Amino acid sequence: MYTIDLAIKAIVYASGIGIGAAAITLIYSATRTFNFAHASMVTWGFYMVFTFTTLFGGLPEYYLIFAGLFSSLLGVLIYYGVNIWLLKRGASEVTLMMSTLGVDLIIFGFLNVYIDFLAGYVRGLGLAGVNPKYFILETKDLIVPYLGTRLSGLVAPVILVLGVVLLHLFLTRTKIGIAMRASIENPPLATISGINIYTVYLLAWIIGGFLAGLSGGILSLISTGYNTVGMTLIVTFFAGSIVGGLYSVFGSLLGGLLIGLGEYIGIYLLSMYVGGWVTVYRPVIPLAIMVATLLIQPMGLAAIDWSKLLKRVGLIKR
Amino acid sequence: MIILMNILLNFGIGLIVTLSLNLEVGYMNLPQFGRMLAVLVGATVAGGVAGRVIAALLGFPFGVEFAGADNYRIVNDINMILEKNPILSILYLILTLILAAALGGIMGYLTAYPAIRLREAYLGITLLAFADILQNIIWFYDPIAGGTQGINVVDPFRFFGPKRFEASVYVIVAVALLVFIYIEFLTRSPYGRVLKAIRDAETAAAVYGKNIVQMRAFTMIIGGAIAAIAGALWALYTGSFKAITYTRLLWTFWPWAYMMLGGTGNNLGVLVGVLIFSMFRTYITIYKHEISSYLMISAEWLEYILVGLVIVLIVLIRPQGLIPEKPTHIIPRREIEKIISSQEQGSSEKR
Repeated sequence: MYTIDLAIKAIVYASGIGIGAAAITLIYSATRTFNFAHASMVTWGFYMVFTFTTLFGGLPEYYLIFAGLFSSLLGVLIYYGVNIWLLKRGASEVTLMMSTLGVDLIIFGFLNVYIDFLAGYVRGLGLAGVNPKYFILETKDLIVPYLGTRLSGLVAPVILVLGVVLLHLFLTRTKIGIAMRASIENPPLATISGINIYTVYLLAWIIGGFLAGLSGGILSLISTGYNTVGMTLIVTFFAGSIVGGLYSVFGSLLGGLLIGLGEYIGIYLLSMYVGGWVTVYRPVIPLAIMVATLLIQPMGLAAIDWSKLLKRVGLIKR
Repeated sequence: MIILMNILLNFGIGLIVTLSLNLEVGYMNLPQFGRMLAVLVGATVAGGVAGRVIAALLGFPFGVEFAGADNYRIVNDINMILEKNPILSILYLILTLILAAALGGIMGYLTAYPAIRLREAYLGITLLAFADILQNIIWFYDPIAGGTQGINVVDPFRFFGPKRFEASVYVIVAVALLVFIYIEFLTRSPYGRVLKAIRDAETAAAVYGKNIVQMRAFTMIIGGAIAAIAGALWALYTGSFKAITYTRLLWTFWPWAYMMLGGTGNNLGVLVGVLIFSMFRTYITIYKHEISSYLMISAEWLEYILVGLVIVLIVLIRPQGLIPEKPTHIIPRREIEKIISSQEQGSSEKR
């Protein structure tokens, strides 16, 4: 039973990381901005789900959409407040990265002000056992009848698949989606053909923000929420994004899934075969996978020529 | 007086770290998002290596026991001996700094391996990841520096008695100024000009026969060594070491903010930036309660918001910083003027 629950938690975790990694990649490939503010956007996702669940009751899954919408709003604010001016100036990648770091500190500050406020409010309501500084939503999750698993174990993969399908349809079937791909591939050429690249950038921040908040919401279903949870997790998101190849949204979804599963299941297997002492080094696993990827295959999963690889291994005939 | 001392303390430590960061970021355009790594190495050396050396010299246990449960007793005994022996204390201080610089340099050399192969965002994230991996290992692996229990650092300033705080601050500021002078000379030397050449036009520098790989590795060694000195000094000052207190925010991102405020690629600008920020941060810490009661929000969060705002505003409005980088004159200005005026005379004579 414990093993099944662990596997389900691993799936939820991996879905969350995959969606978050896709958010980083989408914003990076569209605007060249490596988004450090992702950390606080994810944490806001945690807190939106927590706030609604605490105040209105019900399952935490109901409120995932609000987590996405709020971070989406943050994305729009970041874009119009900072990002667009730097993009117009043609700032370097490192400058763009630093600007989002500044934004992250600002959002983090406001998040903590909000947490303090929420703590006071919750205290006023007299809710026992609810602590906004350190909360666990896992216990509020529904155990699905007949299956005996937690609901999040079903919801998270469904959201992931739905996200992939919708994103794919959006990028290949809609006009704006195709325009988006074009301006990611070649911004000057896209401008010449009459695409307003600033609309595309805005769209990247909206969708990217939504995915960031959503991933925070999904992760809140299985892990503890606290104010620096995003900062702790952000390297894992980066790892997923880089393993996926930083230029392919679907690659980084896959990369994030891989990293998440590798971290959760890898540490379980290691602790079984190597010893319990190894569990504390869990954060090292995604980072190690990422560093290995960067040094061996810097362009990530998306750049691997799969048919060639399979041919070499001998799985398909030449 | 105590305020001034706190400002000087933050200023000294901040200046050393930021100068080392500026050498790599400002002069070589390397996205060093893993500055914490070298600082952490320096602090670990102060706690786990230099302490062991002095323990071995004085005949105390220096193996695994040193970082274990007996750590407090051992360090306390060593401190009692050092208290009565100023010369030994000073030697220990110098030894710690040298060891820290050496290991920090080695770490810098190791991190230069990805730095030669990767670019921009990829490199920044890789360096950040290296720092996190090392922090995780030191934090959980007890034999190095006590793990989650932390370790007590042998105190070289103990013999100053009641003046310990002031003395340690003076030592830190003195080291910071020495580092400033060293980096200033270094960046004005032909080496510094080569760095700038590589930064501004890498291909052109390569065409002129400059070894870019070697230059990068060398710069990262020096940067790592200097940052490690800052870490060691901080550990010696605080008297204890816990890996978890060396965060990305404090030792990577805040130095980045100092550097950007002052002026990237300009050591004097960095000095001004660090001074402004250390005054600002010290005052916020001191007037914490007053701020909280006026604004209804905790001063700690206000500090985050303001620092973030400063970073964003600098990036948007004044990307070159308060004091922009100036072109270095290879020969003094007067000489250049003389040459120009003699040429003008020559051309007018011809006419």
